Amino acid sequence: MSVTHLPNAHYSDLIASDNNHLIGGDIDWLNSLRKKASEEFTGVGFPSPREEEWRYTNISPIEKSQFALSKQAGSVNSAFLSSVLIEGCHHLVFVDGFYQAELSSIDGLPEGVVVSPISNSLNDYESLVKSLLDSVVETPALGFINFNTALFTDGAVISIEENTTVEQPIQVAFVSSKEGALSISNCRNVILAKASSKATVIETYNSVDDSCYLTNVITEVVVEPNANLTHNRLQAESLKAYHIGGVYSRLEKNAIFNQNNYTFGAVISRAEIHAELGEASDCCLDGLYIAEGHQLIDNHTRLNHLHPHSISNETYKGIMNDRSRGVFQGRIIVAQDAQKTDAKMNNRNLLLSDHAEADTKPQLEIYADDVKCAHGVTVGQLDDAAIFYLRTRGADEQMAKNMLTFAFANEMVERISFNPLRIKVLEQLVKRFPQPGMKLEWL
Amino acid sequence: MLKIENLHVSVEGKEILNGINLEIGAGEVHAIMGPNGSGKSTLSYILAGREGYDITEGRVLFNGKDLLDMSVEERAWAGVFLAFQYPVEVPGVSNIYFLKAALNGIRKHEGLSELDAMDFITRVKGKMKDLDMDEKFLYRAVNEGFSGGEKKRNEILQMSVLEPSLCLLDETDSGLDIDALQIVAEGVNRLRDPNRSFVLITHYQRLLDYIKPDYVHVLAHGKVVKSGGPELALELEKHGYAWVEEKLAS
Ligand SMILES: Nc1ncnc2c1ncn2[C@@H]1O[C@H](COP(=O)(O)OP(=O)(O)OP(=O)(O)O)[C@@H](O)[C@H]1O
Ligand SMILES: [Mg+2]
Repeated sequence: MSVTHLPNAHYSDLIASDNNHLIGGDIDWLNSLRKKASEEFTGVGFPSPREEEWRYTNISPIEKSQFALSKQAGSVNSAFLSSVLIEGCHHLVFVDGFYQAELSSIDGLPEGVVVSPISNSLNDYESLVKSLLDSVVETPALGFINFNTALFTDGAVISIEENTTVEQPIQVAFVSSKEGALSISNCRNVILAKASSKATVIETYNSVDDSCYLTNVITEVVVEPNANLTHNRLQAESLKAYHIGGVYSRLEKNAIFNQNNYTFGAVISRAEIHAELGEASDCCLDGLYIAEGHQLIDNHTRLNHLHPHSISNETYKGIMNDRSRGVFQGRIIVAQDAQKTDAKMNNRNLLLSDHAEADTKPQLEIYADDVKCAHGVTVGQLDDAAIFYLRTRGADEQMAKNMLTFAFANEMVERISFNPLRIKVLEQLVKRFPQPGMKLEWL
Repeated sequence: MLKIENLHVSVEGKEILNGINLEIGAGEVHAIMGPNGSGKSTLSYILAGREGYDITEGRVLFNGKDLLDMSVEERAWAGVFLAFQYPVEVPGVSNIYFLKAALNGIRKHEGLSELDAMDFITRVKGKMKDLDMDEKFLYRAVNEGFSGGEKKRNEILQMSVLEPSLCLLDETDSGLDIDALQIVAEGVNRLRDPNRSFVLITHYQRLLDYIKPDYVHVLAHGKVVKSGGPELALELEKHGYAWVEEKLAS
């Protein structure tokens, strides 16, 4: 194995130590999966900024931080928890990477539907977990994926039975406690939407305080023929935390997958949102990111059209203030067989300060000849003519700017059909909003 | 109400307004006519407070206060309103929130409390009815995708809701069909009041058939070259601007 980046001794040591807090230590296939990942990590380590995929996102602060492994859940008070939980959902709650049964509530699930932590699933649903785990992830974030595979402590297992609709969305809430400071939590989620099923999953990431920690999470998703899955992630970590996340999905024939990615938190946030599109499948990726201070929000999306007649529609919007940076890479691959692919990608960035930055990079790799692919990216500032117009009507300058900035973000928020989630995203928008004096009722 | 004295304005060294003098009393209606490029819109922008111009000489008093010293929004709060020749599209901001934010912003500075939601909607819907506007425009983004005439009508709706004391209308009649022109003119006439003044910038006598001006001014090369009563507009219609230039030359 070639060593391009010196593996970090601290993290290699963590992997090599006696990690008997991990689940499934008595399961052979899982042990060998973890072992293989450990070895790969020890050889290569975390990605270096010399790698093209990590060019804009230097994760050396994570390496320097020398985080410990989170080995148990800290405490989270009920007032905080209720601010995180979204009404009208089933709730699966993880604190510092560990499932909290007493904080979770799942009832009234239709027959055959599984919503459970991996820690409780290795007996009853071992073959389900085995079939999904490590079945969809690819390699660009290799170091973090290996680290996760070697050390994940828990995560959600969700399986939607064939021909079944789960009416209430399933919220998987990841919370970082005070005790979780200076540690890494590694969670791993697997989601299977069986043929002709329908469900909505919402992953949320929150911290009780402004501590520094690392969330390293992976979600693997399989959407079987004719199934319809909506997957949301609302990342509102502490502004001192690091968040490395990935959603890796495989869409089978006629599957519908909507992935909505709302990013507000973490000083460095990186998300990989990948989808492999099967025949006549339909994938919609929505993203909204708002950065302030020195935040860096990096979203790497990848749509891999492998078979004919699939559709993808991607819209990412970012707002950057202060000295923050937004990075967007949107890659669309259309394989030779994937004739009649229809792919649209759009990334729009609003810079609110002269020191803010947006790096946007659409990448199209098209090997089929009968396809429709459209992409557009913009990086702009607020429209002076519109600001002037609003001010002539009595809005002060700040209000005028706020209204326009809100309007920019709200286009994405309006598309959220599940109202309790829409309100949660709005709350984050208001809270993380770079300018004071903004009013919710404008939206 | 408004007193413009020897106003000189230039952009990048090019003089656009060339010593304008104009006095507008409370309750009066003044029409400003003049060839394309003579500086009519520039004058209206200067009064509304748009940036990007060098005001090299002169002053403007609004109710005795230095208007040019006020920010754009302060002018709006004080009662200045410009109906734009080219209204701006504001994507994502719905007309109704826009109107509400504007009205409450102005009320706040008049020391009035915010209008409650019901009173507000009743007031706006009443004005829309007067202007023969469909209520669905309330929920559309400000001016976005509006036709030329719809935009102009929307300007007058804003003016009716905000009830300013100095109304500057920059070619509100251009782009309106014959019926719409009448509706808009009626909307303006409804607002006429001894304490409210109007400046109508227009190219056409027809608007002045509906809204009777007290004075008509001709602007050319950034200067008021002729002022008179309503009959001046009729003469202009007959003889064109060349006639003014000739008279000036002789
Ligand atoms: N920002 C600017 N930069 C350069 N020139 C300008 C600028 N604004 C106005 N001008 C020029 O100033 C002159 C007056 O323009 P203005 O728009 O005021 O004319 P107008 O009388 O309103 O014309 P119209 O009847 O066509 O609306 C024009 O020659 C125009 O090109
Ligand atoms: Mg003009």
